[in-house]
Amino acid sequence: MAFESEATPDLTTNIAGVLLDNPVMTASGTFGYGREYSQLVDLNRLGAIVVKGLSLAPAKGNPPPRIAETPCGMLNAIGLENVGFDVFVEKKLPYLKTLSTPTWVNIYGKTIEEYSTLARRVDGVEGIAGIELNISCPNVKVGGVAFGVDEEMAFEVVRAVRQQTGRPLMVKLSPNVTDITRIAQSAVDAGADALSLINTITGMAIDIHRRRSKIANITGGLSGPAIKPVALRMVWQVAQMSSVPVVGIGGIATAEDALEFLIAGAAAVQIGTANFVDPGCAVRVVDGIRKYMIDHGIGRLTELIGTLET
Amino acid sequence: MIQERVQVRYNTIECSGYYRMGLTCHSDYRRAKPGQFVMLRVVDGMNPLLRRPFSIHRLIRSSAGAVEGLEILYKVVGTGTERLADCRRGDGLNLLGPLGRPFSLPERPAQVFIAAGGIGVAPMYFLTETLQKKGFDISSCVVFIGGRSKDDLLCMNDFFAIGVKTVNITTDDGTAGEQDVVTGPIERAVKEGRPDVIYACGPLPMLRATARMARRYDIPCQISIETMMGCGIGACLGCAVSAAGGGDKYLHACVDGPVFNAADIDL
Repeated sequence: MAFESEATPDLTTNIAGVLLDNPVMTASGTFGYGREYSQLVDLNRLGAIVVKGLSLAPAKGNPPPRIAETPCGMLNAIGLENVGFDVFVEKKLPYLKTLSTPTWVNIYGKTIEEYSTLARRVDGVEGIAGIELNISCPNVKVGGVAFGVDEEMAFEVVRAVRQQTGRPLMVKLSPNVTDITRIAQSAVDAGADALSLINTITGMAIDIHRRRSKIANITGGLSGPAIKPVALRMVWQVAQMSSVPVVGIGGIATAEDALEFLIAGAAAVQIGTANFVDPGCAVRVVDGIRKYMIDHGIGRLTELIGTLET
Repeated sequence: MIQERVQVRYNTIECSGYYRMGLTCHSDYRRAKPGQFVMLRVVDGMNPLLRRPFSIHRLIRSSAGAVEGLEILYKVVGTGTERLADCRRGDGLNLLGPLGRPFSLPERPAQVFIAAGGIGVAPMYFLTETLQKKGFDISSCVVFIGGRSKDDLLCMNDFFAIGVKTVNITTDDGTAGEQDVVTGPIERAVKEGRPDVIYACGPLPMLRATARMARRYDIPCQISIETMMGCGIGACLGCAVSAAGGGDKYLHACVDGPVFNAADIDL
């Protein structure tokens, strides 16, 4: 029996009361509403799917060009283009409900009232495992990141949402701050059940011949392997002080990357930009984590989380 | 839609700065349609990070007709295509496709104009070949090829070889054909005899001029556009295209295109 348990290690992890079969989620904004990848990926093998950030009303997003490639990464300023919550529930959610993989919705608003209304609406819908609260998008002019860079505003918006919903609540943090642990503490104090980090790092790229930014929004969010060391450092910092599970995001493209985050203290990870490059990435990361556990005689994922030697 | 590891069958210089690459591919590409594209990873590593989109130039078939590969045409314009130009026969690459909305073909025999600017000729050979396979009279099809200079003119002989009788050549600098933009001879030909449809692919100013002219003469016009693209499958929403008349949402080149009715988008 010991042999058997070694051969099939337990990859389950509990995020805010949602038990995931494995710790590999897909990051919001990089996986559409799931179905986009259905021909390429066995979606039931994912730990969870986090859908594109949703607002109350459909949002058009920013004018093009919206993306630019940078060394080992990309900048984006999509501007949270999305179908809106109602269309999501009517047109996108029914497919997601056919999967065994839990769906998390990522939501954002321009005001605390919009956030609250959305949270209340989510509370009334079946088939949504949890809420990821986006207080960290750098590419919308109001709301979004404005809440994510100020401790008091972060506290206010998380508390307001908490009052509206009993659903598991994960707050997605911005790295564009002086001390991410202070925002993390505010979110936990206000009732967050989990924290996910990092969102993109604000950056720029310039076309020197035209002397224009390579993206219409001028600044954009940097993602991809280029940001992994920064993300890992922040996840480690937050995991040390946080009383709730931390989900690591930022440049993860291989099982080794994911394992670094788990060892640093993340209870799960999200794959983002790598989905664009290699749709099969998330499933390969799951397999790679399992193989690592077998090779190292680790029976349960929880034995690995936060085991960084210092 | 298939993600697969494929091999380079050949990678030859077409003319200065332009290459023709043959790749192995899944036999399901027999269902690929002209105007569709593939996303190719140019390295296995992370730099450059994103896949590059390429129109399918043609399918490679065995003597029995089975699809054994596909061909892309590309111009070296930056880091990604420089890496691609270094590829040798037998090298492995990661291919995702076929993707996007194809050209829609006429339902009845029709007078077809095909306009290509520079590397925009890439999807047009597949289109012409498909029209021929579907029984259209290719000899009546008129092809317009334009480029900056004579070194930017591709595939002329390929069109003649499959039975096109008229290939109009223009260059910006007059080094080959007529010194004009490609829309010059198209408009003159339109005045002589209105085609049923114009298919166009090329740089934005050329597409803009072609679309405007088609609208003036009330000719259906389908254009294949090139944009920055992240994923190719409608997930990143990076390839936004403005819809005609503004509207409350953007279209996306990867799933709503890359072929659009010219009247549907704001170029």
